[in-house]
Amino acid sequence: MKNPGLIFLGAFLVNNIILMRFIGLCPFFGVSTTVETATGMGLAVIFVMTLAAWITFGIYHAVLLPLGLVFLRTAAFILTIASLVQFVEMFLKKSYRGLYNALGIYLPLITTNCAILAVTFLNIDNRYNFVNSTVFALGTGLGFTLVIITFAALRERLDQAPINPSLKGYPIAFVAASLVSLAFLGFSGLFGLS
Amino acid sequence: MTSTKKMIITLVVVAVVCATVLALFYSFTVPLIAKTRVDLALAGLKEVAEADSFLEIISDTLWNAIGPDENVVGIVFRVWPQGYGGLIPITVGLDNDRKITGIRIAGASEGLKETPGLGVKITEADFRGQFIGKSADEVRLKKDGGLIDAITAATISSKAVCDGVRNGIEKYAQYGGPEFDKRNIFPDADDFIAIIKDSLWYALKAGDTLGIVFLASGEGYLDRIVVAVGLDRNKKIVGVDILMSQETAGIGELIREKDFLAKIRDGKPETISGATVSSEAVITAVKEAAKSYGEYLK
Amino acid sequence: MNRWQIFTRGIISENPVLVIMIGLCPALATSGTVRDGFGMGLAATFVLFFSNVIISMIRKLVPAEIRIPVYILIISTFVTIVDYAMQAFQPDLYRVLGVFVPLIVVNCIILGRAEAFASKNSVLNAALDGLGMGIGFTLTLVVIGTIREILGNGTFLGYSVLGSSFKQYPVTFMILPPGAFLVIAVLKAMINKYVRKEI
Repeated sequence: MKNPGLIFLGAFLVNNIILMRFIGLCPFFGVSTTVETATGMGLAVIFVMTLAAWITFGIYHAVLLPLGLVFLRTAAFILTIASLVQFVEMFLKKSYRGLYNALGIYLPLITTNCAILAVTFLNIDNRYNFVNSTVFALGTGLGFTLVIITFAALRERLDQAPINPSLKGYPIAFVAASLVSLAFLGFSGLFGLS
Repeated sequence: MTSTKKMIITLVVVAVVCATVLALFYSFTVPLIAKTRVDLALAGLKEVAEADSFLEIISDTLWNAIGPDENVVGIVFRVWPQGYGGLIPITVGLDNDRKITGIRIAGASEGLKETPGLGVKITEADFRGQFIGKSADEVRLKKDGGLIDAITAATISSKAVCDGVRNGIEKYAQYGGPEFDKRNIFPDADDFIAIIKDSLWYALKAGDTLGIVFLASGEGYLDRIVVAVGLDRNKKIVGVDILMSQETAGIGELIREKDFLAKIRDGKPETISGATVSSEAVITAVKEAAKSYGEYLK
Repeated sequence: MNRWQIFTRGIISENPVLVIMIGLCPALATSGTVRDGFGMGLAATFVLFFSNVIISMIRKLVPAEIRIPVYILIISTFVTIVDYAMQAFQPDLYRVLGVFVPLIVVNCIILGRAEAFASKNSVLNAALDGLGMGIGFTLTLVVIGTIREILGNGTFLGYSVLGSSFKQYPVTFMILPPGAFLVIAVLKAMINKYVRKEI
């Protein structure tokens, strides 16, 4: 599967990172309470995910692989992402105040977002080249955003609904996630993707 | 000691200790990991063919099954047909009468992506057992005139397995080693001696070694591509030909063009626009095999 | 708080997955069968235990400003060790767990325990805490795995338990992603009702 278009669709819908792969659940349940915060988080994830894919691609292929240091991959990637988030935050704060005001508060949360790290690992494991890595990161980020916004809209409604007290909060959110995930199962087999 | 200094020293010490521990552990496990992979692969082959050993002809794709007295008792090949959810990895054993001795379908833990509970049933013995003793023509679903019962509610997966196995047999059945005229690859030589069965030959002229002929293979856009290459004593390529390729007609199959091959031969390989993956696969395969077989020229 | 409480609270009263709601990704993704859940739980327990012990040992040597990068380095070292050990000795399990093994490094439970407990307590207490949290995590995965495997596949640890007719037409939904969400929803609702009545 080397076609960038298919990689994109696979990452975006068929193998949706949240609903099909179960990665990035903590921010998913944590910030999907209103559509506004969900949008901010989603955009921040797309941005950082793509940057992280580029940088880790360079680190892996230009440093770790040639020097035979692949066993440092996990440590190197997580530290890279942590510093990247710090730099992005400082840079936005200085140069793009508007963007910083919109995304700033979500950035620190991203360091522990396993979706970012997962994408950098999957890029290596799937042996994607630079273009495909970028496409995969973009598709995954967009898939994350789509689901988190959809879900936030659902939860805004759930808050108004009369719900059994034991089910309030997380349990009903999980039930909703289960139904949305069931809908996404419908994409399975699309274009032979899995 | 200032606090900045202390911070840097702590960080460096921790990093160095961690890296050292990992380096030691890595060098300890790497051979084990390699051995585990080989053992698993071998166990997979033994499941489909009764043989003492297997001789790899195409890396990870085709093997000769070697029985007692070093006789070739059949072949084992792997195919990856498109199923419902993704590619289905199948290993097939074939005896010398071109009858199936067994098939093995990788389970969900090995990357099978068929629907759990439905398509995944192709891995069960009830379904796989039907293939044993069948020949290529019989490997079709009953509704298509064959002898295989499809799994209820998993027709696409069942059909994919039949098609993959049948096409694989048609593709590899003639394999006693790929039939090709080595003289096309190495025109100056008049005799060839096999060094590694079905993969490497010395090219001789009047008893003198002129060079080597070998097979190289690489992952193309759709399937594996096998190339034959001739190399003279100065490690210069004297001939290249595509032996096996199932690339997209009109695009990937452009790698069979004389022009493309001539450029590889002259040491100035050029990728074909529109068929980058296929042509790069050929170029890399030739380059890497030339490097690894090059030492036979010494 | 005595040592026994430190050890046991991770199992029920402060169960990381069902009560604190962290470490959800592996809890859902690797609980399709009992065996996968148990394997993932053990891997995480190993990392949790050793990183807690080491971090507690060096807690007085590490300046506060750089403690997070130091913790991350130590945790990722143990994660990589588990990663390679599993590839060498449990290749089948590794293929199922896949990217979730290196992802243990961002499992909030581990960094959370390092920061909240190990960096402030003695080595023994940190070890007990790590072990307790690890066991709580493993048990949760095994429980979810048991429910999903029995209903979704009619088997427990690969052995048929609900008869052959069920095995033929199981509730496939349960081993697919939606089933995972549903099981954890029900478990969490039960915890809310029976364990944490105050909510």
